[in-house]
Amino acid sequence: MKTVLSSPESGAVGCHRTGPRRRSLGAALMAAGGAALVGAGGGPAWGFTANLAPAAPQTIYLQVGVGAFTNCYTCTPQGTPENNTTVNTVSVTVPSTAVGSGTAQAMTTNSTATQSFWDNYVYCSVPSQLYIGGFFRTAGGSTAAAQVTASAPSALTDATGDALPFSQISWTSSGNGDSGAEPFPAGTFVGGSTQSVGAMSSNTWNESCWTFSYKNAKAFPAGTYSGTVVYTMTAP
Amino acid sequence: MSRITRGRRAFFLALAFTILWTSGAPAKTVVLDDTGTQALAPAVALRWKSLAPGRSGADNLLVGTTTFRIRINVAPWLRRNVRIYLALPAQQPGPMTVSWVGQGQLLPGRLQSGNRALVYSGPITRPFLEDQVRFQFSVDGTLVARPFPVNLQFEMDE
Repeated sequence: MKTVLSSPESGAVGCHRTGPRRRSLGAALMAAGGAALVGAGGGPAWGFTANLAPAAPQTIYLQVGVGAFTNCYTCTPQGTPENNTTVNTVSVTVPSTAVGSGTAQAMTTNSTATQSFWDNYVYCSVPSQLYIGGFFRTAGGSTAAAQVTASAPSALTDATGDALPFSQISWTSSGNGDSGAEPFPAGTFVGGSTQSVGAMSSNTWNESCWTFSYKNAKAFPAGTYSGTVVYTMTAP
Repeated sequence: MSRITRGRRAFFLALAFTILWTSGAPAKTVVLDDTGTQALAPAVALRWKSLAPGRSGADNLLVGTTTFRIRINVAPWLRRNVRIYLALPAQQPGPMTVSWVGQGQLLPGRLQSGNRALVYSGPITRPFLEDQVRFQFSVDGTLVARPFPVNLQFEMDE
């Protein structure tokens, strides 16, 4: 597994100095509790203008496995996201007596991420579950969700070149205290392609815990098979 | 008719006239000449008040601060007692809040769009009322798609 952490992106700042603003008296006349609104001396109405612009309207954060915050976000002091380049592993050792039996084998992870960086809530259980979560901050009303994809090679391989299709690995999705649909639902790898593994609604913290399993549907030559999956978040 | 009764009649008659006179002359709100007001910073950059959103999707405030050198022409009211308000008219992109603090000449405060707040009450002793005021604007980020102007004005009732 690969952890991809995207740092905040800053948008352009489009502000300028504001100064006195003249408006016509006719446009400024308003009924306010029976009071007429006029400029001083019956002349033009005055006022000043501040030009506001979103300076960093889009921010994305994706964490697969361990991630990094300076502190939990709702903690004191408030945490902020950091980059974490850790690549976690999900693995299983199939007993010789069970190889190719058709009985799925539960996989475990070396990830230590159990708590949500939102509030330190213990959300996932390790080593059986892998945390995946993040958020997509954007200004300006409802937008399409940010998409999270997984890119897996066609197969895991061992030192001698034997191949084991990535499609032999599946996952279920849950989380402590969860109810309803998961933002990152259950699935099965589609080897040799990029597939959607979930979506993040804008301005919402999204998270799930994945439990991986190996289908063990057929026997493969003995060996240690490995492969890397890259998770990518794309914001509209 | 007793003297007391006549006195009461006169009182109520005077009160009625007073009420009629008041309702017949509505207050005139005057927008003050603030031509000399200047922004010390060229921009108001809005940033998320909370960098990370909550699980419920709430907490989407964008906030930004800026400083203005306020200069209000109050010469027409020299040697008079006045009450001056800062008004934030209702405007696009939607509801917003502004709070401010000056350096002593104007009262600090906070108001929501569509309202006004008292910033000065007392005698006018100089032709210009001046202060350096730091404003903080707050607006729902889901309403903000692009840069936008926010109009404010100083006003008084006459």
